[in-house]
Amino acid sequence: MKFEDSSQNLRARLRFIQALVVIVLGILGVRLYVLQVVRGERYAEIAENQRRRRLPIPAPRGVIFDREGRPIVDSRPIYNVILSREDVKDNKLADLTKPLAEGLALDVDLLKERFDQVTPAFESILVKQDATPNDIAWVEAHNLEFPELRVEQQPQRRYPTNGMLAHVLGYVGEISPEQLKQQSYKDKGLKPGDIIGQNGLEQIYDDYLRGRDGYREVVVDSRGRIQDEIETVAPIPGRDLVTTIDLDLQKSAEEQLATSVTKRGVIVAMDPNNGEIMALASFPTFDPNLFSQRINTKQGRAEYLALLNDPQTPLLNRAIQSRYPPGSTWKIPMSVAGLQQGAITLDHSNLVCGGGITIGNKFTRCMGNHGSPDLKTAITRSCDGYFYRLGLKMGIDGIVAMVDEFDLNKRTGIDLPNEVVSWTPSREFKKRMQPRDPDWRDIDTVYASFGQVYDIITPISLLRTIAAVGMGGKMYVPHLLKEVKAYGNQGNSDYLMAAGFKPLDPARPNPKVIPIPEDIHHLVVEGMWGVVNNGGTGAAIKMAGFDIAGKTGTAQVVGLGKDTGKNKDHAWFVSYAPAYKPEISLVALIENSGFGGANAAPAIRRVYDTYYRKTRHEEPPGAVQIAKKQTEPSQAVANIAQ
Amino acid sequence: MVAIIHKRSWRDFDWILAFLAIAIVGFGTIQIRFAQPTETYWVKQIIGLGIALVAMLVVAFTDYRKLLTWAPAFYIFGLMLLVIVLVPGIGLKINGQRAWIKVPGVGQFQPSEFVKVTTAMMLARYFGRNRTQALTFKEMIVGGLILALPCSLILLEPDVGSVLTYIPILAAVLFLSAVRLRLVVAAVALAVVMIPVAYWVGVKTNLIKNYQQERINVILDPENADRRKIGYHTWQSILTVGEGGVFGSRSSAEHSQSGLKFLPEPHTDFIYAVTAENYGFIGCVFVLVAYAILLSRLITGARRSSDRAGMLFIMAIVGGFIFQIFINIGMALGISPVIGVPLPLMSAGLASLIATFIAIGFAISVQLRRFVN
Repeated sequence: MKFEDSSQNLRARLRFIQALVVIVLGILGVRLYVLQVVRGERYAEIAENQRRRRLPIPAPRGVIFDREGRPIVDSRPIYNVILSREDVKDNKLADLTKPLAEGLALDVDLLKERFDQVTPAFESILVKQDATPNDIAWVEAHNLEFPELRVEQQPQRRYPTNGMLAHVLGYVGEISPEQLKQQSYKDKGLKPGDIIGQNGLEQIYDDYLRGRDGYREVVVDSRGRIQDEIETVAPIPGRDLVTTIDLDLQKSAEEQLATSVTKRGVIVAMDPNNGEIMALASFPTFDPNLFSQRINTKQGRAEYLALLNDPQTPLLNRAIQSRYPPGSTWKIPMSVAGLQQGAITLDHSNLVCGGGITIGNKFTRCMGNHGSPDLKTAITRSCDGYFYRLGLKMGIDGIVAMVDEFDLNKRTGIDLPNEVVSWTPSREFKKRMQPRDPDWRDIDTVYASFGQVYDIITPISLLRTIAAVGMGGKMYVPHLLKEVKAYGNQGNSDYLMAAGFKPLDPARPNPKVIPIPEDIHHLVVEGMWGVVNNGGTGAAIKMAGFDIAGKTGTAQVVGLGKDTGKNKDHAWFVSYAPAYKPEISLVALIENSGFGGANAAPAIRRVYDTYYRKTRHEEPPGAVQIAKKQTEPSQAVANIAQ
Repeated sequence: MVAIIHKRSWRDFDWILAFLAIAIVGFGTIQIRFAQPTETYWVKQIIGLGIALVAMLVVAFTDYRKLLTWAPAFYIFGLMLLVIVLVPGIGLKINGQRAWIKVPGVGQFQPSEFVKVTTAMMLARYFGRNRTQALTFKEMIVGGLILALPCSLILLEPDVGSVLTYIPILAAVLFLSAVRLRLVVAAVALAVVMIPVAYWVGVKTNLIKNYQQERINVILDPENADRRKIGYHTWQSILTVGEGGVFGSRSSAEHSQSGLKFLPEPHTDFIYAVTAENYGFIGCVFVLVAYAILLSRLITGARRSSDRAGMLFIMAIVGGFIFQIFINIGMALGISPVIGVPLPLMSAGLASLIATFIAIGFAISVQLRRFVN
């Protein structure tokens, strides 16, 4: 450096800059080492994840058939608008609500709620279900503006729109945030937005019906547009269910309830030989499509709220979730147990009617005066006085033993969710019910023996009991599943065999065999036969050549004498036929309609008619047209002794 | 005379410097093609290299002292370009900055890159006289003014990033023009103390906006900063660099960070991240070493310069380079804020490329005449 002068130490300053160059590049080198060598793996993984995306291919849900192979529930393809949350910057999500709500005709508040609800952040959000062609066109037209939107095809569940079989079928719905937190759902690999069975058979057999979603693994660019497909895994379709329901009987049963006085009640038909439920109608009913199709709309929500608040409780499956006093139908298991326990004998079954009974200073009356009837007559005429005395002879312990024997204090084990347990008489029950007078007294035994006060049971458990009596003690678990259809072709690795019904509780015997000696069985059946065929309380529905064995019942809602208007008694009729070779058993309960023989029995008769036409291929004998006007007392009513 | 130049020139010509620069541009062009395979940026870069080489040779074989006597004229020409670019219709507005002049056929041309060279020339000429004493206050003011004129015009565009790259040019010139060391130390100390204090005051008084704070937070802690808004560029660049690992990413070009457009501006601001993804740590260090050799050659050239003006010009260019390299690569590695500074010789951009080669040509010219006088 010819111009250099030492005072300015130029050489040193140049060297300083040279050093600075090395230091700066060195810093960059160290940083590179940290990012690429130390953290390289982790960043590579994050980068990989942000460009890969799994788009689910929903599995078609299995079809539900009736026992004759007629489809009851199926699915149709609909289109959903999905928002890929990964592509949306968090602050933008709030800004999206308004334009999306406007463009897709959605409610702003509902949409906002959905956006807030879905966690964790990296999920797809269902923006609109069942998008119209207009909606799809809108999404496509706004692809540049909202690239995070996409349209996906999805099968949507279709139920009979008139609410037929609603309580049995249940419905599907989106998995709820609460369910997502539960381990049992997590174990199934369910994720937000998944559609699962939320009630009825859809819930119980969800694992069969749901199948397994497939997916497309794709590579997306920074705006979420699909650039490449890596792999496609086809969905495994859900398996089809064949139920034990017979649509003809079901329709018939529902018609009876729909035309009944109060339009509230239950009719259940069961094959006593195996527990197959052939019809299960509960009224009023509801439209399950509300849950599978409309629940995310404003109208849908309002509809749901109305159902929840309806005093008629249409969402309730009355057959398994409502308890009613069984009234005189209770006399059947009482009769069997009375004979079994020796309180009466086959030869000496006569007890006094007395027009009632006096316990202490309280007189409990019978609806007639039957002298001193034998068991058969007491059943046929439904003599309360007889059973007061039988109950007293058996004692509370005898009644409890009977309850135990007929599983009346247990769930029947039907393959539907949320079955309730009946309330049955016991010393403990009284303590809980009347803490001020906790001791069990004779008057309590009287009450417990004619199907009131301490006996409050579900229609399904009553039906099961009566069917078991008809079957000579073989008591099956009532069920709705006939068969889960086989999947795939035999020989293939993914072949799944057809599966029949198994009690959900495997410890449960099916059938449970109650030791009822043949002669006892015979005597009780004779009594029940007489109810319909020998001028008993159900004589009006007699069918020549098709012997119905049954028992009427009238469940008191309020005290005697006040039983008018909406406090009218519940009408029962429980039966099976033919009396000595049971094929079908039926129970009917019409809420607040009055006497069982006048209201429940005729409804049952019309279901039997349907059954008879189907199985015998001819018009049922003596199809008596019973007047629907309940005010007009028929011959049968005059005979009713209860 | 031509014959003399030729004979001696080819012997003294800094081949290493020239080839290194060309090699980096060639490598850079490959990266640009990786980054934007469907665009023609890489073709333009090759055309630009051709123009730049011609410019470099012309400057190299011109006596730099003659060029420096014309420095005021170049300087004023540069300022005129900066004024012209502000005229709507001539100046092109991209991303809110009116910083480009449309050149038919070649594309856009960013005068602020080019003016760096003329400003460095002006500074070299002004401070190039032989000196016997330390820098006076007046000289510093004049130097500051020489810089301030183009800078204020660039601020009108507005392009703060470019302005920042001008500061090291002046700093290098002042540092080597015998500015008193205590002033240097004082300035550094003041910066070390004042920057955090100013930042703190700025945050407290809300003079520094949230998004600006966020930009700083991203650098301090990229993983916890908002990766979707302000931090997006930095975070994606870090991922891209990290994915490169030791030997380069295993995923295909179509599935790369730049191919899927996760990495923004991959052919300009984040070109180094593309290199990092493709060639990994090995390739990145290789590039750093290439820059180290290039800068060392320039410094060596400066040291050998026959006069102060030549030395100052080269070192001004070195100052600008090292600053730009640090900011640009630092941006890709998430240690400096995203301010849109190109990486010399690698980022796509005609003006930057040609200006850089003119500067290198100038440095070669200085070297060629080191034995004269």
